[in-house]
Amino acid sequence: MQDSSGMATVKFTDLSLVELEGLSDDELDALPFGVVGLSVAGTVEVYNRTESHLAGLPFESVVGEHYFSSTAQCMNNYMVAQRFEDQDELDVVLDYVLTLRMRPTPVRLRLLKSASQSRRYILIER
Amino acid sequence: MDTSPKDEQAELLRFLYACPVGLIEIEANGAIGMMNPHAMQLLLPLASTKMMVNFFDVIEAYAPDIRNIVQDYSRKQGTVLEGHRIVVKPARPDRGSEARVLSCTLVKVSTQFFAITLADVSTQVAQERRLKQAETWFSSLLDFVNDFTVISLDHAGFINGASSSVLRQTGFNEAELLGRTLELFSPEDTSSDRLTVAEQMAIAARDGWHLTEGYHQRPTGKRYWCQRLIASRTLSGQLCGHEKAGYTVVLREVERQDMDAEKLTNMLHRDHLTGAYNRLRFFEIAERECLRAKHYGQPLAIVAMDIDHFKEINDSYGHAAGDLALRSFAQTCMSFLRPTDIFARIGGEEFVAILPSTALDEAVGLAKRLRTSIRDIEVAVPEGVLKMTATFGCAELVPNSSTHLDLLAAADQALYRGKGLGRDRVVRSIAVASPVEAQ
Repeated sequence: MQDSSGMATVKFTDLSLVELEGLSDDELDALPFGVVGLSVAGTVEVYNRTESHLAGLPFESVVGEHYFSSTAQCMNNYMVAQRFEDQDELDVVLDYVLTLRMRPTPVRLRLLKSASQSRRYILIER
Repeated sequence: MDTSPKDEQAELLRFLYACPVGLIEIEANGAIGMMNPHAMQLLLPLASTKMMVNFFDVIEAYAPDIRNIVQDYSRKQGTVLEGHRIVVKPARPDRGSEARVLSCTLVKVSTQFFAITLADVSTQVAQERRLKQAETWFSSLLDFVNDFTVISLDHAGFINGASSSVLRQTGFNEAELLGRTLELFSPEDTSSDRLTVAEQMAIAARDGWHLTEGYHQRPTGKRYWCQRLIASRTLSGQLCGHEKAGYTVVLREVERQDMDAEKLTNMLHRDHLTGAYNRLRFFEIAERECLRAKHYGQPLAIVAMDIDHFKEINDSYGHAAGDLALRSFAQTCMSFLRPTDIFARIGGEEFVAILPSTALDEAVGLAKRLRTSIRDIEVAVPEGVLKMTATFGCAELVPNSSTHLDLLAAADQALYRGKGLGRDRVVRSIAVASPVEAQ
């Protein structure tokens, strides 16, 4: 338990944007935390299996949708969505509460954005 | 092809996630079962993420009596609250910000299942305010076209013109009115809780208008119930809020409506548990009192108070004992205050007293007496006797500069310093340590 969660923590905070972009769909799905990749316009392009399972939504129903208005209104604020707008480079971890499957769930979020890459990522660790 | 239960659940979740209104399910003790992202979006700015497990705790600082209202609701099911407004952030007209207001509807489904909807109605509240203004104008000017009097005031409030109907309605002819003020119409024994003409003009200058109802008196001594609208006239080409050309006053005699409305108003203005004024009313009165104090150049002090370690009282003795403590606290405080003072509950265990015509030193004196009396309170609980102490922060209005919100902030700062110094004490604000205070 300690080991596996310890491992997960390391990867959760260490994984870089470049590494994320290089992962195959299967590799993304195998990660123990949720991965959501957004286009510049805010639509979902990457949605891994862990996140799909945590949120209770199948990949097909989320991909192409505007993430902050259709799926994750609770992140549509200055703490998350606004930061992607305001900052060119972003790599922060914050404690947060999501409503996964309608249950208030404490999580850690990692927000990733780089000026050299258009896709932004939100990593979600329960 | 039929949808599988799994797909159906996903569709349901998608819908709930996208719903543009906050949905929350709680138990009788406030524990949150389910909530959707919109509800989280509305509540997250109000409390720390750790508190997001109990609805009552989350809104404690803004609407502390919801917990009691829910617990006192005796029917098996039904609507407990409908469109109950929670002021999350008061308006700051001086900084151009509108109030942020949530509307909460709470339905008891069964003893352990309450369904709540939450919506941000700040825009509606702002719109209502503007609508009300327009409505007032139209109802005054159009409904009774033949039955109103228009009086013109200069910028200082002296009458400089009146419409031809003035004699019939007021009993004064135009010549008798010129150079006088609206006070001429007031009966001598007008109760002191009404705003004075000068205060009404100040509000009209600020908001564009002020509408009031009350007795007017004719020269014969005969009284009539009159609706009076004071609207500020802006010099053309000048920005609103700057120098006014004067005021237009519309007088209309109306039938007096004897109201249960007053009882209802009382209910809306009072905290359910303690009988103190609620947060919503506090901000309204504080704003008015500051305006009044500035206009008359009188002092105004407030005392912010907070029961020490209240959370521990709740944790060790339970919420019922906590409620008893709050009631005793409020009763004790109110027994010390003058009828003109205002006592309000603005958070879970946070109270404020507004003390008109009172300087800082007097406020500190009162707070010291309150502190001693609070120490003497004994609340009988099953475990024995519950004692408490409280910390007090006192501040005085700084003429010209501060608003009611600055005043509250200054008192709060003093209160928090008191908490830091070990609680159970009275601390005066250093924000107002002006030369006047240095005695």
